Amino acid sequence: MVTETSAVAGVLVMVLVTFATRVAGVWVMSHFPITPRLEAFLKAMGSSVLIAIIVPATVSGAPRLWLAVGAAVLVMATTRSALAAMIVGTAAAGLARSIGG
Amino acid sequence: MEVRERGDGAGRERVRLTLRGTWRGAVEIVPIALFVLPFGIAFGAAASAKAVPPEIAVLMSATVYAGASQFAVLDLWLAPLPLGMLAVTVLAVNARHILLGATLAPWLLQLPLARRLLALSVLSDANFAQSLAAHERGETDAGVLLGGGLAMWFPWVFGTTLGASSGALLGDLSRFGFDAVMATYFAAILCGRWQGRRDLAPWATAAVASLIAANLLAPGWHIIAGALAGGLAGALAHGD
Repeated sequence: MVTETSAVAGVLVMVLVTFATRVAGVWVMSHFPITPRLEAFLKAMGSSVLIAIIVPATVSGAPRLWLAVGAAVLVMATTRSALAAMIVGTAAAGLARSIGG
Repeated sequence: MEVRERGDGAGRERVRLTLRGTWRGAVEIVPIALFVLPFGIAFGAAASAKAVPPEIAVLMSATVYAGASQFAVLDLWLAPLPLGMLAVTVLAVNARHILLGATLAPWLLQLPLARRLLALSVLSDANFAQSLAAHERGETDAGVLLGGGLAMWFPWVFGTTLGASSGALLGDLSRFGFDAVMATYFAAILCGRWQGRRDLAPWATAAVASLIAANLLAPGWHIIAGALAGGLAGALAHGD
């Protein structure tokens, strides 16, 4: 059994490390001049982070997750509404699940 | 796609952080925030299954506020608590925050330090995606980041409280819902960011690198690998 004191210490360690990761990116960037090339790097990285989060998760996920993402892309491409894309995509995944997909 | 460039130009106007912008960000992210609740319940339930006391689980959600890393430490929650191991695991899972922050730096560096730290203290994947989209359309109020983060904090902490006190109930279902919501939201944001063929190389690089890394590296690192690879590909293509 983890004692209350060490549990709080553990949470404190987590808080400090997590806060450091949250502020470190901006802090590092404040020490470099943001050149056009660096800006291109950051811009590409913004999209790349999202890609790196969803692509492996979707590929290794169930086919209904592929369906959800596909539907969201389709709706976004036609309506330009992220909210509509999200609702339709999630609904598609829910529907696929309920019919045993 | 010259029209898009104007959005970037507008982003270089003086950035501020106001209450109004914070409220706007919070309202905008409500559909996502609703789905944070079942995920919070799942975390609370998982924590109680690992014999983490409810008050510790809730304290963790309220102060750490980084779901993936909180799930990751549950397997390490044994006496004596391995603090060093805990720190390394949290760093690995949350290192992507560094990249998220760096990406928003041109925007956030225009804020006074205290406000910058305040907005960054609730940085997560969803409000990052939200802020990126806002930045792209010329938003100059960084309250979007703060508001989005706060709006998801409440259901996260409330969900944890419910899950921790009611034990293991919703497991798979809630997780599935969260995954689909997040994946579709991020896919929609990406769709809006697509500016034509020049994005193809960095995006494909990010996808391939993250897929390879997901099979080779410890959990969490594939996001870093994909993000850096895609960013480098974008920077290299820039000179052409």
